[in-house]
Amino acid sequence: MAHITINNVNKIYPDGTPAVSNLNMEIASGEFLCIIGPSGCGKSSTLRMLAGLEEVSSGQILIDGEDVSNTPARDRDIAMVFENYALYPHLTVRENISMPLVARNTPKGETKSRVADIAARLSIESQLDKKPAKLSGGQRQRVALARAMIRNPRMFIMDEPLGHLEAYLRIELRREIRALHESSGGTTMYITHDQEEAAAISDRIAIMYDGVLQQVGTFEELIDHPVNRMVAEFVGEPPISIVENGILTETGIKLGEVEFVLPVDTVRRAKKASGPFALGARPRDFQIVENDAHGLTAKIRSVQPMGEWAILLCDTAVGVLTVVSATAGAPQVESEITISPNFSRAHLFAADGNNLSVEGSLN
Amino acid sequence: MSQRAEARRAATVLVAPAIILLLALNIFPIIYAAYISLHHWNLASPNPPRFAGLFNYEELLIDERFSNSLMVSGQFIFLAVGVELLLGFALAFVFNSKLPGLDTLRKISLLPVMAMPLVVGLTWFYMLNENFGVTNWILTVFGFDRQPFLTDQTLAILSVVLTDIWQWTPFVTLVIFAALQSLPEYVFEAARMDGLTERQIFFKMTLPLLRPAILVVLVIRAVDAFRMIELIFMMTKGGPAGATEVLPWYLYTTGFLSLNLGYAAAMAVVMIIVVTLVAQVLVRKIVNQGVME
Amino acid sequence: MTVSTAHSTVQINVPKKRRNSLGDYTRYLIASGFVGFCLFPFYIIISTSLKSDADIFAWPPVWLFEATPENYYNALFVFGGEGIFKYLINSLVVTGISTALAVGLGAMVCYGLTRFKVVAGNHLFFFILSTRFAPPVAFVVPLYLMVQRTGLIDTHLALILIYTSMNMSLVVWVMRGFFEAIPIEIEEAALIDGYTRLQIFRKVVLPLVKPGLITTSILSAIMAWNEFLIATVMTQNSAATLPVYLAGFSGSMGLEWGPYLAVGTMAVAPIMIFTLVLQRHLVRGLTFGAVR
Repeated sequence: MAHITINNVNKIYPDGTPAVSNLNMEIASGEFLCIIGPSGCGKSSTLRMLAGLEEVSSGQILIDGEDVSNTPARDRDIAMVFENYALYPHLTVRENISMPLVARNTPKGETKSRVADIAARLSIESQLDKKPAKLSGGQRQRVALARAMIRNPRMFIMDEPLGHLEAYLRIELRREIRALHESSGGTTMYITHDQEEAAAISDRIAIMYDGVLQQVGTFEELIDHPVNRMVAEFVGEPPISIVENGILTETGIKLGEVEFVLPVDTVRRAKKASGPFALGARPRDFQIVENDAHGLTAKIRSVQPMGEWAILLCDTAVGVLTVVSATAGAPQVESEITISPNFSRAHLFAADGNNLSVEGSLN
Repeated sequence: MSQRAEARRAATVLVAPAIILLLALNIFPIIYAAYISLHHWNLASPNPPRFAGLFNYEELLIDERFSNSLMVSGQFIFLAVGVELLLGFALAFVFNSKLPGLDTLRKISLLPVMAMPLVVGLTWFYMLNENFGVTNWILTVFGFDRQPFLTDQTLAILSVVLTDIWQWTPFVTLVIFAALQSLPEYVFEAARMDGLTERQIFFKMTLPLLRPAILVVLVIRAVDAFRMIELIFMMTKGGPAGATEVLPWYLYTTGFLSLNLGYAAAMAVVMIIVVTLVAQVLVRKIVNQGVME
Repeated sequence: MTVSTAHSTVQINVPKKRRNSLGDYTRYLIASGFVGFCLFPFYIIISTSLKSDADIFAWPPVWLFEATPENYYNALFVFGGEGIFKYLINSLVVTGISTALAVGLGAMVCYGLTRFKVVAGNHLFFFILSTRFAPPVAFVVPLYLMVQRTGLIDTHLALILIYTSMNMSLVVWVMRGFFEAIPIEIEEAALIDGYTRLQIFRKVVLPLVKPGLITTSILSAIMAWNEFLIATVMTQNSAATLPVYLAGFSGSMGLEWGPYLAVGTMAVAPIMIFTLVLQRHLVRGLTFGAVR
């Protein structure tokens, strides 16, 4: 159980590039938080600063209210699972797993039984006397997990632990990780680049970009109320469809030749912001309407059936848009349709990326 | 020509010259040396070589000078290689840091290794000279007496040891340093996260992971120290009174000053056997080893 | 949903590097001391070679002196009749040719054993590597008789052949890694393009392993240049190399010291320059086997 507070943390590399800027974040005790974002967004740096493997350039990190800036990694009671497992190559699996206990001079008998316990839980008893080189990727990851869990730390941090495993293993192991998290009662910070994994495994998700925290919330919150364009474009599969160069009108927005009405609040905020504006709508939030009804004319470029739903790639006057519709009765390739975004769920983005369709401290 | 025949021909062309050369200059000499050692073969004597069976070897067994040379060789190897390994090991850690300039210093320290051993011997012979050597000057500055470095029984062997240490410690440093640098960072990060103290990390992680490199450099240095003759040639010529007569020197004087080739050949065979045993074990180990995945 | 507001922030700037300046100083101290110790004898021989006889034997040793090229002059032109030029030339010839042969044959055999399935290939490979430990002093006895009986005493050829065989193991040792690093697809593609195996070796593979060839060349050259025992035994007058001349030094008080130190300096100087300039290449050859 550890409650984490990150206060105005900055990290600047020796050559001057900022890795993390002005990070403020709270992780509740027992929470499972995922950090996602593109490469180089600062998620690894954040994790490593929390671990104590890297120094904070400025700011504070508090664990359970205590400032840990001067506490070395070994005393922070945090267990880490590395992307490449980081198993000790010269030691057996048993010795790897027992290392955290050995480090604390735990009596041999107790170590032995605890190792046996955790090996059983993670189904690696038969590997105990092998060296890491002889294990498969999935087995190695289990050993890494066992080593992390064996001492019941107050916090777990995991840096893309499943990144190098095959798809089916990823799904299987992430269930196990979640289960282990819950039964241990610890707090977990988890990094991944796989949104689906993040959505499935975490309580809340934090998105970072270019060293700056963009938004923290549940997956639904990120999908439905993205705070800016970056978040909207990063989260969600298939990715959000964006129409550029919209011109603000009195009541809404003009996309190409077609005018649409926007919610009043949105328009109000938009008047205070600067364009050009872009409108984003998730592929599922488009409706196919009658050909003469109000909307954008589109020509179907391709249809990708994905089971019940199909992904349509539509050429419109204002760009190529992705639309999702039911496979049954989906329009044919090359046919012309009219689509209209569902404006209760669409987002208007200002030039600086801010989402004008949601309330926020920036509006 | 078929693929396979062409490949066979190419392989032969590539491999044969070197193998033939080594057969002629490596394998054959060993056999020939064994042959010579079974004869009374003295170039100084007017008699032609005459078969002697194991006579030379029997002589070796009771030869005090031979056992002395083995002992002196042993002392030399133990002292020189021992210090080189300890010093070199420690220095590798001193250099293991990103401080500016340390890298350049380390590169400069490689100079002794490449210097001609004969010149090294000459230089230290000059430096250790009792009458005008700079080493004695340093001693007097600190208030000590001048020492007869190369003419005193104990000091002579120590002087040769010191010279060897000077020349080869940088080599050990280099190898251990390279090995240290190649250790993956993640092992140390994981160890810190697991809660190990710096001391525990050194003994449980660093040392075991360095073991292969340490072993290799130990054996290489030991074998090279066993064959060393240049320093003795330049500095002491085996004296005083056999105090620095290592096996190579005894062999050399027997064979080329006394011209007793048969006896020298017997010593040569003994040397070759010892070294071959070591070489076989080590070479296999080196080529086959892999600690990291 | 959005980020929490910041608490009052206390800026804590943890300076990363300069925390342990005492440790840093100690490091520099030890490292400099060690390097100073390494360089000192070089300084001695270079400076002493420039001293006049009086200064060479002076006590206490003279630190500031009048440099004189007398010793070099004597060594080069006076001593031994023609001075040391003969020895220099012999050293250069023997070193040059034996290095080329060692690297050439060594690369060939290494490639042959690495890429082709040769009868007892593995055993041959281990055998070649194990010759690295052969003690020259033991081999000199049979080799002497062999060289004498083939009439090759005091010839360049004898030294060249022997040095080539001595350097072979190092070349094979180092080149193995380089050859293994070449993806076999490159050679297969050349095969399909119609090249013969030997052409592939010459035109495709060798250019790719140039760094390895440089490393082994340097190390072989240094070893041949420095070698003394075989040279002393096998040569007398015509083919004697520089180390043979140096070995003739008898250490008595007299005219010889100066010129010998000068020759010593000349023998060591090229190596010093090589080492500093080509350090990167040397390191690879020296650490091979101990470090992956």
